[in-house]
Amino acid sequence: MTARTPTLSPARHVRVLRTQEGVLFIILLVIIVVLSLLSDRFLTANNLLNQTRLLTETALLALPMTLIIIGGGIDLSVGSTLAWSAVMLGFSWQLLGLPLPLAVLVCLLTGLLGGAVNGYLIAYVRVPPLIATLATLAIYRGFSFGISQARSARGFPEEFAFWGQGQIGPFPTQFVVLVVLIVAAHLLLSRTGFGRWVYAIGNNEVAARYSGIPVERVKFTLYALSGLMAGLAAFIFTSRVTTTRADAATGLELDVIAAVVLGGTSIFGGSGSVVGTMLGLAIITLLRNGLLLTGVKGDATFMVIGVVLIIAVLINDLVRKR
Amino acid sequence: MSEPVIELRGISKRFPGVQALDNVSFDVREGEVHALLGENGAGKSTLIKILTGAYQADGGQIFLRGKPVTIPDTRHGLKLGIAAIYQELSLYPDLSVAENIFMGHHPSLRGGLVNWRQMEQRARAILHELDADDLDVSRPVRGLSVGNQQRVEIAKALSHDARILIMDEPTAALTKHDVDQLFAIVRRLRERGVAVVYITHRLEEVFLLADRVTVLRDGRVVGETLDVSKTSQAELIRMMVGRTLDTLFPKTPAQPGEVVLEVRNLCYGRTTRKVNFILRQGEIVGLAGLVGAGRSELAQVIFGVTPAESGEIRVNGRPVSIRSPREAMALGIAYVPEDRKNQGLLLRMNVRENTALAVLRQLLRYGFIDYAAEDRLAKEYVEQLQIRTPSLLQQVVNLSGGNQQKVVLAKWLATKPKVLILDEPTRGIDVGAKAEIHRLMNALAQQGMAILMISSELPEILGMSDRVLVMRQGTIVAELDRAQATQEAVVAAAMGADELHMTLVASTSLNP
Amino acid sequence: MSTPAAPTLPPLPRPRRWVVQQESVLVAAILALTLCVSLVNPDFLNTSNLLDIAVNTAYIAVAAAGMTMVIVSGNIDISVGSMLGVCATIAGELARNDVPVPLAFAAAVIAGGIMGAVNGALVAYARIPAIVVTLGMLSILRGGLILVTQGRWIESLPQAFFFSQRSTLGIPNPVWVMVIVALLVWFFMRYHRLGRAIYAVGGNAEAARLAGINPRQVHFFVFVVNGLLVGLAAVLYASKFTAIQSNAGQGFELAVISGTVVGGVSILGGTGTVLGAVLGSLLISQIGTAAVFLKVSPFWLQAVQGGLILLTVLVDVLRRRRMT
Repeated sequence: MTARTPTLSPARHVRVLRTQEGVLFIILLVIIVVLSLLSDRFLTANNLLNQTRLLTETALLALPMTLIIIGGGIDLSVGSTLAWSAVMLGFSWQLLGLPLPLAVLVCLLTGLLGGAVNGYLIAYVRVPPLIATLATLAIYRGFSFGISQARSARGFPEEFAFWGQGQIGPFPTQFVVLVVLIVAAHLLLSRTGFGRWVYAIGNNEVAARYSGIPVERVKFTLYALSGLMAGLAAFIFTSRVTTTRADAATGLELDVIAAVVLGGTSIFGGSGSVVGTMLGLAIITLLRNGLLLTGVKGDATFMVIGVVLIIAVLINDLVRKR
Repeated sequence: MSEPVIELRGISKRFPGVQALDNVSFDVREGEVHALLGENGAGKSTLIKILTGAYQADGGQIFLRGKPVTIPDTRHGLKLGIAAIYQELSLYPDLSVAENIFMGHHPSLRGGLVNWRQMEQRARAILHELDADDLDVSRPVRGLSVGNQQRVEIAKALSHDARILIMDEPTAALTKHDVDQLFAIVRRLRERGVAVVYITHRLEEVFLLADRVTVLRDGRVVGETLDVSKTSQAELIRMMVGRTLDTLFPKTPAQPGEVVLEVRNLCYGRTTRKVNFILRQGEIVGLAGLVGAGRSELAQVIFGVTPAESGEIRVNGRPVSIRSPREAMALGIAYVPEDRKNQGLLLRMNVRENTALAVLRQLLRYGFIDYAAEDRLAKEYVEQLQIRTPSLLQQVVNLSGGNQQKVVLAKWLATKPKVLILDEPTRGIDVGAKAEIHRLMNALAQQGMAILMISSELPEILGMSDRVLVMRQGTIVAELDRAQATQEAVVAAAMGADELHMTLVASTSLNP
Repeated sequence: MSTPAAPTLPPLPRPRRWVVQQESVLVAAILALTLCVSLVNPDFLNTSNLLDIAVNTAYIAVAAAGMTMVIVSGNIDISVGSMLGVCATIAGELARNDVPVPLAFAAAVIAGGIMGAVNGALVAYARIPAIVVTLGMLSILRGGLILVTQGRWIESLPQAFFFSQRSTLGIPNPVWVMVIVALLVWFFMRYHRLGRAIYAVGGNAEAARLAGINPRQVHFFVFVVNGLLVGLAAVLYASKFTAIQSNAGQGFELAVISGTVVGGVSILGGTGTVLGAVLGSLLISQIGTAAVFLKVSPFWLQAVQGGLILLTVLVDVLRRRRMT
């Protein structure tokens, strides 16, 4: 990478622990310590690596969602886009008989198309993002059911499982993919001109336009990117669960948004970071996993997401008011 | 002469760094229109806000019908019958005219139910008093003309039974027709015994409408309140401007070079109508005019924010099409907007990021920001413009107005423009920073930059410009060189003195 | 304020010429759809079928009435699905444990009000954006519900519990409730000062403040009422089936918000009516039934409904653009 580390003033180092990321990091450490005391199965390489398998799809969606929310928007359709893309994968492979690599390409392109439609509606037709993506949430989910006729595709070849179940060295394949993309998203947001534009638009769209920033194009790109990532998540998801289902990832958008907001991204746009989002997601995932290991029933662990979310936002408000 | 309805005695108000009002005394009588004049920053808005209860005075007292009162907030002010109509209207776009008038104090039946019939009747009655029967009280406010929206605001004030009505530059955004209607309304209110405080930049309106006039300057009342019949335009201008500012403006005469920007028959909507002018290398051209004359709108047409509907723009003699700020930038045009906070700055981002924003593309290496180059750039401009900031990483929201303005300037200077359009470059900033910006403008012109400066401050226009263009009603009505540009000439052109003269002769026996 | 000597009932609002009201558009759409489908399949016009549509819409429409108030005030509530689940479970659990059914129903409604109050307090007084608060509540309530029920269904309910399966004067109970709620909320929002204050706060909060309206009280109020109505919706929902599933109400928030938005309630706040929201909800479920009668594969249903939502929104966006 050609990016240079920015010259930090000493003051900033001191402030790091008071930033949202600093607070989240400390919370994460506390959670890890507490959970490892509660269950001896928690702090094992096996368990932790397995968790990365489970959080990858959410994480892939959370990366572009972070950028979108920083830019002052929101995308509620990501879960449906994922399902639609997954269905297209199964459909084009099983029913149309396309070779698998081509089917994967169809899957990615489907996601991209879904995102581009969102982007067009929001950037150029100026439909408020919340409604535009609420509508496409229903439409893309409808496509998933309509195209698949609610039948699942299965029976993918062995080697296909590599992306969702395989390993690269000791690490789950998708975790490696995820890490690469996290780094890429982080660099995109914090080091590139595009990232700076995103912050600028979320901060003050008018001033951004007056400064010659192509606001519409940036917005369009963000939603298209979000769709593409949903396509990628669909591919990895399909490979992990070895079946494509129309009801896949229902409600996933809420987990994704929760992670982003917990990660310190302002829901009104203008501030936030990829690192924060990933810390937010790690907290949610590990808390749920830890509670599961201590015997709490599966879905009940959702409760902690809500509690942590509201408390974190409250604390963040208090810290910022100082 | 009737007794004052409301009287301010010795009012002072201090903000950090500024004495906004200094021992101001002022009164308004029943059934009079009292004009309040003054340049930007003279303290008019502060005075209004103290009257309505939005601000509390540091010193002095307010008397309502002879009794001392305190007005803790605007709601209380309304109860006392004091209402204000600001330039920025506060309406509910999707609610009906009647409801906009009565929101918060609906005529009601038992149990807090709204009596729509009575509300619409009363709304109609109020609008009837305003001679605005043509307004349908049941239609939504969205889509009404600005003039009609303003009438709704006035009706709202009257629905509170306001006895003291403050109007802040009510004609700024109105068409000629709407202005006439407004004047009729104000006269009617006067007949009904309402005390009207009328703030304006347009001297003609003082003579058409007001009974008495008070001039504010630098937070003080100049001289004393005058009867309009006993003063003249020239006297009021003298009172408003007052000081001799020659020393403040270090203007060095320009050596104008080639024509850089040429505008021919430029049109956009109703605000830019067949504008023609040229701008040469190395000169500063002042663009004067009243608020609402279309100066900022013209700048935004040239800069591509609202692309021209017809007409021609030439840069270095070549016809160009400018459809967006990006295209304007690429042609070497920069625009420092009037509204610093909304159009100029990313308040929550730091000095470095703001400075580099417009030239970010040039600081990219393979798409990545070259932080060292960005740092150098920001440092360079912080030093050159003497921006006082603890570090480049300071959020600009924490800087003073003057330094914020310098950051906006830095952002645009970084684009190395050939044409720099400055819209009210020194509004709301302190005297020191003002002088620095003026020195900088001089230096830039010396280096060959062509500068178009929009300003509502006459001394600034006269002090800084090599040439003065005067705009009125969307078009340029006068071009004056430095020698011709006197206060009187600019003001006369901006206000349309001939028209003024005729109206005065026709409507009153005053001696203009 | 002065009270007129002889209080009369306020007049009905006169029809307004300038805007084609969303309500009339929806009525026309519903009639047109009814006509078209019945031409293909006359059974569609069957009274029992039409009542079925109404019954299936009732609990959504009741919640949409509350959502209308929330959205008009400039907020949003995405926790209504979880709230519905919690309230339905409370009603069911109490009834199964021999609490008199009316009491069980009342408890569900009150529980909704309490949850709404929590949302409202966090939005109005802790100043957290509504979407964040209700996103959090969505997870808390959903998780909490499963924690308590351990995922078990509630069955063997007393006969008296099945309120929604019964009729009064030949009209199914849920339809009565829907109509009464819609009229009450419509009347309140149209004629009560507090109802008007909701429009004021959503349209221009600063102007409302200057007019002496306390925006925080209004925010709190709409969330509480919304909670109560979700509680009522939960009663209609729970008493419709023989068992209450532990995941009751999942995705319900989307149905409610869609109905409201299709009904012409602007997501930006300040405008929209309950009648619109109810008609919007009706139209969406009518399309569902129509698809069955037209032998459209039910799997395409959601896509059609989503397309309809998008279409309505686009019309609204374009119409507004023309008006400003």
